Amino acid sequence: MDSAEMPLIEIQQVDKFFGRFQALKQINLEVRKGERIVVCGPSGSGKSTLIRCINRLEAHDSGSIVIDGTELNDKVANIDAVRSEVGMVFQSFNLFPHMTILRNLTIAQRLVRKTPKNEADKVAMHYLERVKIPEQAHKYPIQLSGGQQQRVAIARALCMRPKIMLFDEPTSALDPEMINEVLDVMVDLAREGMTMICVTHEMGFARSVADRVIFMDEGEIVEAAPPAQFFENPENERTRTFLSQILTH
Amino acid sequence: MEALSGWWDDYYWGSVVVLKVFVASLFLMVLFGLIGAAAKLSNSPVAQKLAGAYTVVFRGTPEILVILLLYFGSAITLTAIAQVFDPDIKFVDIPPFWAGTFAIAFIVGSYATETFRGAFMGVKPGSIEAARALGMSNFQTFVYIRIPEMWRIALPPFGNHMLSLVKDTALISIIGLNETLFVAKQAITVTGKPFTMYIFVGLIYLAFSTFITMAVMALEAFGKRTTEGAR
Amino acid sequence: MSFDINLTLESIPRMLGGVGITLQLLVVSGLLGLGLAIILLLMRLSKKPYLDWPAQVYIYVMRGTPILVQIFIIYYGLPQFDWIRSSVFWPILREPMGCAILALSLNTGAYVSEILRGGVLAVDQGLSEAGAALGMSKRHVFIYVKTPIAIRIALPAYSNDVISLQKSTALASTITIADMMGIARNIVAETYAPYEVFVSLAIIYIIFSTGIQKAFGLIEWRLGRYERRNG
Repeated sequence: MDSAEMPLIEIQQVDKFFGRFQALKQINLEVRKGERIVVCGPSGSGKSTLIRCINRLEAHDSGSIVIDGTELNDKVANIDAVRSEVGMVFQSFNLFPHMTILRNLTIAQRLVRKTPKNEADKVAMHYLERVKIPEQAHKYPIQLSGGQQQRVAIARALCMRPKIMLFDEPTSALDPEMINEVLDVMVDLAREGMTMICVTHEMGFARSVADRVIFMDEGEIVEAAPPAQFFENPENERTRTFLSQILTH
Repeated sequence: MEALSGWWDDYYWGSVVVLKVFVASLFLMVLFGLIGAAAKLSNSPVAQKLAGAYTVVFRGTPEILVILLLYFGSAITLTAIAQVFDPDIKFVDIPPFWAGTFAIAFIVGSYATETFRGAFMGVKPGSIEAARALGMSNFQTFVYIRIPEMWRIALPPFGNHMLSLVKDTALISIIGLNETLFVAKQAITVTGKPFTMYIFVGLIYLAFSTFITMAVMALEAFGKRTTEGAR
Repeated sequence: MSFDINLTLESIPRMLGGVGITLQLLVVSGLLGLGLAIILLLMRLSKKPYLDWPAQVYIYVMRGTPILVQIFIIYYGLPQFDWIRSSVFWPILREPMGCAILALSLNTGAYVSEILRGGVLAVDQGLSEAGAALGMSKRHVFIYVKTPIAIRIALPAYSNDVISLQKSTALASTITIADMMGIARNIVAETYAPYEVFVSLAIIYIIFSTGIQKAFGLIEWRLGRYERRNG
């Protein structure tokens, strides 16, 4: 079996508890290289928890998660290996406020990859241009708009050349007029073949970009299907209820 | 430890003095703090400047200096005033208890001014607006909305103020107040065991601090009973 | 009652003669205390109970007892033991300055460590997560993300502690040190003029505190560049 056929992400029978509350119930999911997955569902459904388990910001309690052949467990070496291949974009951007945009993009390169300054700067400027704001390089995050900050956050993750990009509600904290500039960047990324898992409420994005849309509710994957089928012909009653709640407005 | 025997009584009464100073200065500290906060929040520039001067003076001056100044200085002032009425009076002074109590109340009160002012301003404007919109009077808003929120905000720093009062009491021993540190000095001249005695004083004060800290923690828990974790 | 201006003008230079000692107490204790605070902070953050608990106990005791008692324990109390008097530290512990600096450092170290800890805990958790997601080690996140931001958060509280420390240096006068306060008390003992001497001393201390506050204000302004939209 060659590597193009082996799934990049293999999640098998994963449970996750917060105290007595079970956030993830027997999750099974395979993601192939180049696949674009959108995860949606009501709040508290576990969608954020799931993707946070993929880069070990949360630790799953049972089952297994294997990323590109590396088993995700408590071993620091494994966690580091996984994090070097997985990039994450947060709802609240989480740019380092005390560093310039340029330093935000280069600090991890220099500390983690030990990239020399010149090269790190070049990579940073390259991705800043990709997200279309190279002129902001020497400003501080607070001087940028929300949409700009999130684009910087995407560029920051890309500077580490991940194979997989995780997006945790990337546009939920943005004013409406700035959502599109971020979605555009994500669409570009998808077109170039990046493997992506995106938790979002932006159904237009899901329809046009996703290979599969996954609906989660109360810690379980209720339904997973390509967008055409998911939106036109959902199989599960709960999926139908959810869609009717979010799509009528 | 036998050095302590025979001194238990004295230390007991010394602790009672600490307690008395605490109660008296607590009352005064709250009074001064509220007045100062009210002055700073008022519209009068004079009141604000006076309150500003009050905080600058008492936050910038060492506690021991304030105690000495109040004690010796007031003695001179009162003596002079008394001599106006009765030239035969040689000396009038304030008991160290009151000089010390007022001194530490003034000092901690200047910190309490900021605490109360911050607590007042920390009440969410939205809550006040909602109360007004519902037709509540100023007084009702103050009592039912402002005060409950204010004391929740002020409680942690206020706990620290109370701890300051207790610890500053030891300084009043310098002007002869017979609290525990003063007792220790006497005990030392008799027993020749300074370490034992001073450690014991430290333990007494630690006990007071612990009691206050636990009381504040209990009050904080009580205050949070409706706002956090109520499922 | 009269206010002897001449006496005031004469005493001020004499008291300022003690500035050197006051500053020595402030700066040396401040630096040593800061070093101790960092050690205690790391102990508390280490999550290892055998480091965390001793640090907590130490901080609790130092913050729960009056600093005057701590000074007396070290200066008057330690000589009670033969093994102290014959130890290698005796030359330091014999001197009032050594004892005062030791006591002040041990005390401020406890307070500052809590201030620093408050700063570290206040750093937005999302920033640590972003660092982790980028593959940065916990050490890297602590040094490059948490520490710079924690310092800026803790700075106002730290400046208050420095002012407190400055006021505490006046207590060195109780163990015969001739700092500004010590000289002032000598003058008062000579001249029986507490008002003139103590009031002018208070003014000197207030000028000091205001100076410290302004200096920190400047530092806060410079470090907070990234928080202002106009940079």
